[in-house]
Amino acid sequence: MPPIRDKFTIHSRAVVCQDVELKGDITIGPGTVVHPKATIFAIAGPIVIGSGCIIEEAAIIVNRRKEVMRVGDNNLFEIGCRVECPSVGNFNTISTRARVHHTVRISNYCVIGAACLVVPTDDETLDDYTSIFGPAAERRIWSGRGRIQEADLRLKHAEYLREMLPKFNRLRRGDGA
Amino acid sequence: MDVPVYYSKAEFIETDTGNKVSRRATIAGPQNIILGGKTIISSGAIIRGDLRRTGPGHAVVISLGRYCLVGEGCVMRPPYKTYRGNFNYYPMKIGDYVHVGANTVVEAATIGNHVVIGKNCVITCAQVADNTVIPPNTVIPALALFSGSPGRFIEDLPESTQEMVESQTKQYYSRFQPLER
Repeated sequence: MPPIRDKFTIHSRAVVCQDVELKGDITIGPGTVVHPKATIFAIAGPIVIGSGCIIEEAAIIVNRRKEVMRVGDNNLFEIGCRVECPSVGNFNTISTRARVHHTVRISNYCVIGAACLVVPTDDETLDDYTSIFGPAAERRIWSGRGRIQEADLRLKHAEYLREMLPKFNRLRRGDGA
Repeated sequence: MDVPVYYSKAEFIETDTGNKVSRRATIAGPQNIILGGKTIISSGAIIRGDLRRTGPGHAVVISLGRYCLVGEGCVMRPPYKTYRGNFNYYPMKIGDYVHVGANTVVEAATIGNHVVIGKNCVITCAQVADNTVIPPNTVIPALALFSGSPGRFIEDLPESTQEMVESQTKQYYSRFQPLER
């Protein structure tokens, strides 16, 4: 296997803390917030993260496939979650300590509950509004009620962090800047 | 006395009030964190004092009581919500004699005195067993044991719990001894 070549493209309006582990070809979009101690590993193919995402401490995002891993906009990756999906849509929540395998593709407005393990053996795509919960990783479809409020909270959260994190943490810049 | 738990002297910083903080713990915004004294923060713990309430002046984000233990790899961060349309993080208050097990995530608003939280828990008190997930906005009454995912009430604890936890946490602190080398 060829050695991993680092190439970080971080948008000037993204907030990425210094204490973040990045490896491989990574693109981070405008307004995305990466807390300290998060890990983003592009082992095989590159990782492209959209705008307005929040990646909390000890979260791990890994791309083991050759193809580009695309993460959409306004997703929340909570503390200690591990995501290896080849594609993630918009407005998803991956809760604390959840783990999603590389066989799953996430569309939009999905919620993976706290400490859930989503590891199917065959490839599958989660429909919009799927929520996975409980120790047995049960599924159901969310009606979408309260979606506007949820999105509003997400936007305000990201906005708050963009303002607050630079006051207490050193930031990381991309290769270009 | 029981067998001491040794730690390497070079790794921990001891303050004059007896707090022992590992150099390998990540502490963001330390000016916003208050430790009550004789509290141990183990290596790999992450404490987020930088997520403070907006507003003028000094804001305490996390206050820990006396004889607390923050286990290895724990994440302690304050809770957030929007109130009257404004997004904010709210201060987190932890009482005395609280032990938090290894790799636990705590995002609670308040934790009372004499609380024991197990390993690998997700908490957003009484006693919480290992591998428990407590959903947001849960109130755990005094002298209760919670377990499972989502965490449910399992049993009442005896009235002697308070004295027992107090003596256990004090004993742990005295057992936690430096090893010269």
